[in-house]
Amino acid sequence: MRFARLPWLVLTPALIFVFVGVFAPLLMTHDPAVQDYTAILQGPSTAHWLGTDYLGRDLWSRIVGGARTSLVAMAFVLVAALVIGVVIGSVAGYVGGLVETVLISLIDIALALPSLVIALALMGVFSGENFDWLSDYWKMVLALTLAWWANYARMSRAVVVAELQQPYIEAARVMGASHLWIFTRHILPHVLGLVVVYASADAGALVLAIATLSFLGLGVAPPTPEWGQMLVDGMSYIEEYPNLVIIPGLALTAVVVSFNLLGEAFALQKVPRALRGRLLGRKRAERKAEDQARVSVEGQA
Amino acid sequence: MPKLSRRQVMASSAAFSFLSTLPHIALAGGHGDTLRVAIAGETGDLDLLQNVSTLSSYTVVFDGLIHYGPGGVLEPGLATAWTIAEDGKSIAFDLREGVTFSDGAPFDAETAKWNLERWMGVGDFSWIGIADAYESIETSGPNQITVRLSRPVPAALLELTIVRPVRFLSPNAVDADGKQASPVGTGPWIVESYSSSETVLTRNDNYWGERPSFSRIELKVVPDELARANALRAGELDVIGGDWVAPLSPRRAKALEGEGMTIVAEPGTATTILGYSPKSPMMQNRGVREAVFLGIDRAAIAQVLFEGFADPSVDIFPTTVPTAGVRHAVPARDVAAAQAALSAAGWSGGGSGWTKGGDALEIDFLVSEESFPGSRRIAEMIQAMLTEVGFKVDISSVDNATMHERRPNFEYDLTFFATYGAPYDPHGSLGASFVSTVDTGPDGKIYISDELDPVVLAALEASGDAQEAAMQGVYDWLYDAVAACPLLVTQRIWAVHPRVQGFSLPATDYDIPYKGLTLG
Repeated sequence: MRFARLPWLVLTPALIFVFVGVFAPLLMTHDPAVQDYTAILQGPSTAHWLGTDYLGRDLWSRIVGGARTSLVAMAFVLVAALVIGVVIGSVAGYVGGLVETVLISLIDIALALPSLVIALALMGVFSGENFDWLSDYWKMVLALTLAWWANYARMSRAVVVAELQQPYIEAARVMGASHLWIFTRHILPHVLGLVVVYASADAGALVLAIATLSFLGLGVAPPTPEWGQMLVDGMSYIEEYPNLVIIPGLALTAVVVSFNLLGEAFALQKVPRALRGRLLGRKRAERKAEDQARVSVEGQA
Repeated sequence: MPKLSRRQVMASSAAFSFLSTLPHIALAGGHGDTLRVAIAGETGDLDLLQNVSTLSSYTVVFDGLIHYGPGGVLEPGLATAWTIAEDGKSIAFDLREGVTFSDGAPFDAETAKWNLERWMGVGDFSWIGIADAYESIETSGPNQITVRLSRPVPAALLELTIVRPVRFLSPNAVDADGKQASPVGTGPWIVESYSSSETVLTRNDNYWGERPSFSRIELKVVPDELARANALRAGELDVIGGDWVAPLSPRRAKALEGEGMTIVAEPGTATTILGYSPKSPMMQNRGVREAVFLGIDRAAIAQVLFEGFADPSVDIFPTTVPTAGVRHAVPARDVAAAQAALSAAGWSGGGSGWTKGGDALEIDFLVSEESFPGSRRIAEMIQAMLTEVGFKVDISSVDNATMHERRPNFEYDLTFFATYGAPYDPHGSLGASFVSTVDTGPDGKIYISDELDPVVLAALEASGDAQEAAMQGVYDWLYDAVAACPLLVTQRIWAVHPRVQGFSLPATDYDIPYKGLTLG
């Protein structure tokens, strides 16, 4: 196996996760919530591909349903945290002065504690009766969003401050470009370029955070299938039916590792070719043509 | 330089792994005179007036005047006889003669009076009826005391069997401020040492009662249930189990039973009850309560989640609790009857959902795995069963703090409760969970109403022959009003290593088993 192929290999679980999550209703062979007390704790069979759990529910359908649960929650949290983070970070970096000081302090406070601890505290706040109008699922999404935005805000501000010092921004100002134009046309693409890459690496951590909250009994409410919940429920049966723990554990591990390696690959620029886009391909082709031209000129000389 | 082949490395590793198990084997075989019992949390300093140490460890060190025997029979402890005055306002005790504390101090009327006055009449202990009604203690001889009360306390004798603070401490074991300095009692065992990992007890050779056949108990702190089971298998522990000592799950008990361990299970003394919020408009509808009551398959829960180590019940207390009342047959799950109850109450709809006055039949089921381990799985089963009836059940899974905040404020439609069990019941749970005027803090109430209060208070104040009828009045009221939904009584489960012989369950799950045991 060539090392250069590694990124594609490690991406596979993440891609499968996204595929399974998107097409879950088509892939589930049973209703993941339906209990059958006559078929509890069965091994794999043609009727139940991965067997059944302690309430006779189909394990395959629950794993597939769990992927969808995590994927949807992860997508919502990432998009929401990214929007909040980019807006706050960009305003801080672009406006500067007192606004920047206040927002930076806010970001520092949010970053002072681990995101999961903040999410746990927020889940405690949201579990009061005043928040009964929100389902447990959306409480979790909201808590994770409010715990996750700060890192994106910090990065966004750093990029905005760096870009503002570039000569082309000054040139745009001299030419009479508005703040909105400068920000949206010149700065925001740089911010998004960096933040989106980091967000892709964060996806694994988020899937793990969702599972952790459910593992602690604070995340997704039954009967919605969720991997963390399946793990903790399977713990009582680990001696005789380890597949109740191993299967969701493996799924979770594969997805988290895959997203983490994806993030690392981005950081080390071992990005799979297809992900680099046409622009990079075109640039590489141009450079190759230049090299060839140079070689040919040197050869003629 | 010599080279090691891969095979040699693997062989060496295997040999090393095997040798590393030898100390365990040696340890397992070297505890002939020591009983090793698992405890889930450290014992602490066993201060009798502080709510800190684990309850189970007090019973082996300290004695009470009266002990709680099997089935709730009151047995003589440090008192050999007792007489309640006709007006119920005084109780005379004959104290056991010749008893000494393990530090040599004598136990007599003066010592007993000093001990009782440490908590009787003290505000912190007003939850104990006899402490709340306390007036004075008189000594009428070296071994006679009389406790005088401001009002009759029918449960007084039962209250004297509880674990803390009613037991007796050596007067020499307190500091200048009267604070307990060391755990010195008259019990069969003496605390040799305690730490976060274990508490070591040695036999009190001067104990007044039956002398244990072995000289030492090691209470090993093993918080994880699987680790406890594995230690029992490995011979590093002799006994595990007991809800208040080191809980053993039904699933694990089944597994251990198949591996040669002795499993001892008996009907428990605490009932798991589904409480309907008395403040929820939805649950004030009797038809909704009836539908929940009839829509749950208690036998399936007992079988699927408790492996048969639980007994379905619709009564507030099991028969293992004194004056538990007349038994009601556990109804089979009846979806049609549940739906008929809803229809009769004015709800319209069916299995896909019910509405009344524009409101959907949707209930909030408050669950905390942290407060009540295993409750989420029971809730999942109940959710599926009630969904079939046509309910929409939203499970709110919260942490312990939130549960303790929401439950006393009745911020739920359904939630789990459990009665206290022996030796506190029936008076403990009835007073705490069904009387609106008693403050039970974060525990909340199973059900309260203005009509129910006088019925329960009358039962709590009844004594003698009237007591049983008064208690039955409470049970009938609750049953007729469908005010609570008892589910099942979990059995008391213990697992014992084959080297331990003569194991029988202690009277309550607050007791550590040692009586009658012999070690192989």
